[in-house]
Amino acid sequence: MPCERKPMRYGHSEGHTDVCFDDEGKCVVTCGSDGDVRIWESLDDDDPKSINVGEKVYSVGLKNGKLVTAVSNNTIQIHTFPEGDPDGILTRFTTNANHVTFNSSGSRVAAGSSDFIVKIVEVVDSSQQKTLRGHDAPILSVALDPSDEFLASSSCDGSVAVWSIESQTQVAQWQILQKSSDVSNAKSLCRLAWQPRSGKLLAVPVDLTIQLYDRNTWTHVSTLSDDLISQVVNVVVWSPCGKFLAAGTVGGNLLVWDVEAKLCIERQKHEKGFTVCGMAWHPSGGRIAYTDTEGCLGLLEGVPSSSSTVQSTKAAAAKETHDYDDLFDEDDDRGLDEGMSDSRSPVKKPIMEEDDDDDDLMPATGRPRNRGSFLDDDDNSQDPSCVKLDGVPEEDGSSAILPAVGPAVSRPVYEGPMPTQPQRAFQPGSTPVHLMHRFMVWNSVGIVRGYNDDQDNAIDVEFHDTAIHHAMHLTNTLGHTMADLSQEAVLLACEGTEELASKIQCLHFSCWDTHKDWIVDLPKGEDVRTLCLGQGWAAVATSALMVRLFSVGGVQKEIFSLPGAVVCMAGHGEQLLIVYHRGTGFDGDQALGIQLLQLGHKRRQVIHGEPLPLSRKSYLAWMGFTAEGTPCCIDSEGVVRMLNRTLGNMWTPVCNTRDSCKSKSDHYWVVGVHENPQQLRCIPCKGARYPPTLPRPAVAVLPFNLPYCQTTTEKGQMEEQYWRSVLFQNHYGFLSSSGYEIDSEGQSRAEKEQQELLMKMFALSCKLEREFRCVELAEIMTHSVVTLAIRYASRSRRMALAQRLSELALEKASQIQEEEQEEEEPAYQSHSSREYRGSNQMSRRLAPVENGCEEEEEYPQEEQMDAEESTETRKLSLNPFKKGGKSPERPSPKPMSREGRVNPFKVSGAGKSSSSPAGQPRTTNVLDSMTMSNRKPAPLGSTSKQGKAPVLKPLAPKPKSKTQATLLQMSASKGNSKKLEDSQSEAEKVKPAPAATPPASAENIENRKPKTGFQLWLEENRKSILADNPDFEEMDVIKEGMGRFRTLSAEERLNWTERAKGDSDPKKRKREDEEGQVDEQTESDEGRTKKKKPLDTSAKLSAFAFNKE
Amino acid sequence: MDPAEVEFLAEKEMVKIIPNFSLDKIYLIGGDLGPFNPGLPVEVPVWLALNLKQRQKCRIVPPEWMDTDKLEEIREQERKLDTFTPIPSLYYMELTKLLLNHSADNIPKADEIRTLVKDIWDTRVAKLRLSADSFISQQEAHAQLDNLTLMEINTTRSFLLDSLNYMYKLRSNLQPGRSQDY
Repeated sequence: MPCERKPMRYGHSEGHTDVCFDDEGKCVVTCGSDGDVRIWESLDDDDPKSINVGEKVYSVGLKNGKLVTAVSNNTIQIHTFPEGDPDGILTRFTTNANHVTFNSSGSRVAAGSSDFIVKIVEVVDSSQQKTLRGHDAPILSVALDPSDEFLASSSCDGSVAVWSIESQTQVAQWQILQKSSDVSNAKSLCRLAWQPRSGKLLAVPVDLTIQLYDRNTWTHVSTLSDDLISQVVNVVVWSPCGKFLAAGTVGGNLLVWDVEAKLCIERQKHEKGFTVCGMAWHPSGGRIAYTDTEGCLGLLEGVPSSSSTVQSTKAAAAKETHDYDDLFDEDDDRGLDEGMSDSRSPVKKPIMEEDDDDDDLMPATGRPRNRGSFLDDDDNSQDPSCVKLDGVPEEDGSSAILPAVGPAVSRPVYEGPMPTQPQRAFQPGSTPVHLMHRFMVWNSVGIVRGYNDDQDNAIDVEFHDTAIHHAMHLTNTLGHTMADLSQEAVLLACEGTEELASKIQCLHFSCWDTHKDWIVDLPKGEDVRTLCLGQGWAAVATSALMVRLFSVGGVQKEIFSLPGAVVCMAGHGEQLLIVYHRGTGFDGDQALGIQLLQLGHKRRQVIHGEPLPLSRKSYLAWMGFTAEGTPCCIDSEGVVRMLNRTLGNMWTPVCNTRDSCKSKSDHYWVVGVHENPQQLRCIPCKGARYPPTLPRPAVAVLPFNLPYCQTTTEKGQMEEQYWRSVLFQNHYGFLSSSGYEIDSEGQSRAEKEQQELLMKMFALSCKLEREFRCVELAEIMTHSVVTLAIRYASRSRRMALAQRLSELALEKASQIQEEEQEEEEPAYQSHSSREYRGSNQMSRRLAPVENGCEEEEEYPQEEQMDAEESTETRKLSLNPFKKGGKSPERPSPKPMSREGRVNPFKVSGAGKSSSSPAGQPRTTNVLDSMTMSNRKPAPLGSTSKQGKAPVLKPLAPKPKSKTQATLLQMSASKGNSKKLEDSQSEAEKVKPAPAATPPASAENIENRKPKTGFQLWLEENRKSILADNPDFEEMDVIKEGMGRFRTLSAEERLNWTERAKGDSDPKKRKREDEEGQVDEQTESDEGRTKKKKPLDTSAKLSAFAFNKE
Repeated sequence: MDPAEVEFLAEKEMVKIIPNFSLDKIYLIGGDLGPFNPGLPVEVPVWLALNLKQRQKCRIVPPEWMDTDKLEEIREQERKLDTFTPIPSLYYMELTKLLLNHSADNIPKADEIRTLVKDIWDTRVAKLRLSADSFISQQEAHAQLDNLTLMEINTTRSFLLDSLNYMYKLRSNLQPGRSQDY
């Protein structure tokens, strides 16, 4: 005999409410703090009649077509019912009345007010008043005896009194309540109730129990209580038959007792646990209306009311075993039913959710219902795949389950962990299905909106970039509820109905033939749960725990089974990500598993169903890939997690969107994640979890923020920055290893940033005299940065540290050497993939470039700038609008190498950033620019920014010799494995250093390797090559140059080589001369980053220090 | 200075647009703009926004103050006070006109906004006239008017200055050397 708890619905604004039925029980009448009285035909009444009676209504009573209300203007008003016309004022108080009630015949009204007075007024003649004085505090509640003899009242002074109406005197008084100063402070509303008809018993809510007092003796006869009641009882009401008593508590529990048996026969919990402050029993019984302090109205259906139910209740004990069987049967059936008839149909969804977006969509947080018995729970957990409905009447372990052990003994309450309702399948980036206007998907490609209102059932497809496709408008005849959108196609799906099978429809707009769409029916009884699109394929997960793959043109491909009910899927390029229920979660947690599959030529599973980490008591809210292809998930607590491929596919939290929310009920609805630039694109939703379709929401960008400790300190900040940079750089490794071209510029920029951060951290720990930490940091650094660190250490007179660091540097150098030897043979192939092996080796190749950049800043007129850089400088010189930068003394006449035309307005602040025109590359979708490259992209600039150095490799001394050279220079006797010529020239260069000591000379040497004859030749002839072929890229120029150089006569070539050899020394001198100027320049340049300066000035010292060693 | 010129100046104001195309940063005399990512809001000058809008290359996100609630509040404030209230944008009139004329479809409640801004404008200009009137009638030597926008100043400037000049001439011609009551 379970009773059904109907979903709540909003009736009034937040605040105290009251409820009653009309005489026939046709309408529910509620009042609230918004000053309205609403008349509801039924709970589903969308347009209740509303009567405004005042500013605030405290209590409402209804009898014989008269509606009395206690209003905030200190009056008791009458309105006609159901018309709602004002019918005069019944009585007045000096402050507002708190409770007003009719007697059973409807002839009298009793009201209790905050001015300590109770009044009894005849409805027909309001001059006939009786005033009861005697309470010492505001009156909480009044109740008129059915025989009109007595009146009971409760007050904030802690007393419950019974008055004789005739004599207006107290006949009994009990000090049983807690005292309080005012109604607003009172723990309980303490609504009293006389037993109907006979009036034999008076029910008084006292603390956690209900006490019953006998009319004749005014003594306490029994107490009703239940273990479930954890908070004070607020309201009690008798059933019209007088056999049952219902109570509502502050904690939101609703209980019904059989008074005679003192047996609690019904336990329900308010779906959100709000305080129940009004209850009313339907005149015919069987139904209880209740309201809460949040202004919501709820209904309990099927409450026992007739004597027959009592019989069955009593008989229950005898039939105990039998009932257990029944219970199982019943539940099993239901489970099956749900499995079969797929219960996700939107109609069945509770109406509440619409208003309730703010709250959790799934009642995942906490089990709202009172799960009565172990058996019941067990039964549920055995059936995890079954998606439970909110609206389905849940077995409540009603009286049938329990043997009636003793009169007032309640049945045992299971207090262990409660299983969580598994969250439903959803499409990432969609708003709930029951909304009339909803986003079916919002991703980086575009928006699919679904309309399902009276006039229209349609789907709008809109692309962010209209270059992909124009917007589409489709009529939604099939009733699609799921959608995904990619650059190639729109995939739509609907669930099956009884007649129609579940369908998948694909609009393949990028198709080049005339048939742009295809439809596939799923086998009967199988429903689409979620779907996704990848590059050239589509995947659909179904209710049969299966994933079906299709090609984008409609060819059926692999199918495979999932270990649990699917939650969502996401596709990107060749990757397919599937999240499913791994099992039953407990206490609000979800137990989700995740699989990541590669669907390329080499199909494989990357993540094999590992648990997906979520915050406590949260569910998955978004799942997908970053634009760069890294899996990313967001839970309902707003925590964004990203897969860390270099950390064994662990999930790293990268952001908490709730941190940037202004108020508690605000949320960010994520629509995309980008790693380069680091952007979390989301839509701020004020006071809701989902954005409305109109007005069209605007996208905001949130930064990422790893939850590192002490990010207020400089150290924590830099650590966070460093690891964020490392994490967000992982995708380069992944992309290049899976054969995509990557933005090597962005990568080297990131690497450079990391090294800079390391150096800053190093400097910081140096300052704090934490030398051990310094060494730890140095271990992460690349080799060349370690040399800087050594210099820094020695400059700040930490010889011990410098010593250790130099040992470390040697180690690193030998490591590099070993690796390079390994590397030599397999040509370039392994380069790129090697780059990502470990963070500490990651950017060693970057080092020369880095130094090169610094050098460029310090010596803008340096001859050795490579072509690209010099063009940049030239741009600077020519640019009349430039903001920063210094005027180069000698504009290089070299023609532009990369861009055909140069924008004269392009402002390039610092020389460094200028060399990256794609500073913030457009990354709507990296797939845009990702094209499968036939050969590995390694030769294209895994080393240098301009992607030039590797091309030179076959001719010029290799970049690695540069690193070698630095090594030689700092540990003088080491490494003679390299060409003699090299080391000699290096040595020559080192020698003059201590004398005049050009500060950065040591630093520069790395980059100043002697030029080959070809390079010199090329420098001279570049112009002519470019003149002939203006659209040549740097690489092409070199190739062409090589061709031409070969055609030269042997003599000429020798000549060039000679020149190359004799080149270095004169230049050296020149640089010394310029030294002074440059220094001044650097000092005067305020815009320079701080880091450079100390290094620059420190170089002198350090070079000196090293020499001494 | 005619209104067209003021409007020209107003076109330099930045406004957010949501482009539906993709373009790298563009480098202009006034500064760099972009990069443009489809679907991602970006700040551009009004002239560019309108140009793109006319070519159906973007949607314009109305400035924050272009909202009925906020404007109503300003209107009330403006009506209540005798002085000029601070206005959210120095070019509110011009921007409203430009944006509403060219992209009313992107601005919710465009008509209401138009009316509200017109109301504010009327109130302010009325105040301006009133103060000009009292300025002249009381023969003040100077007056301070805060929070005026360029367009507002421009509406009365030429007229007021000319009339002051004429009055000065008239006065000095009529009764040289004698004071006169007006």
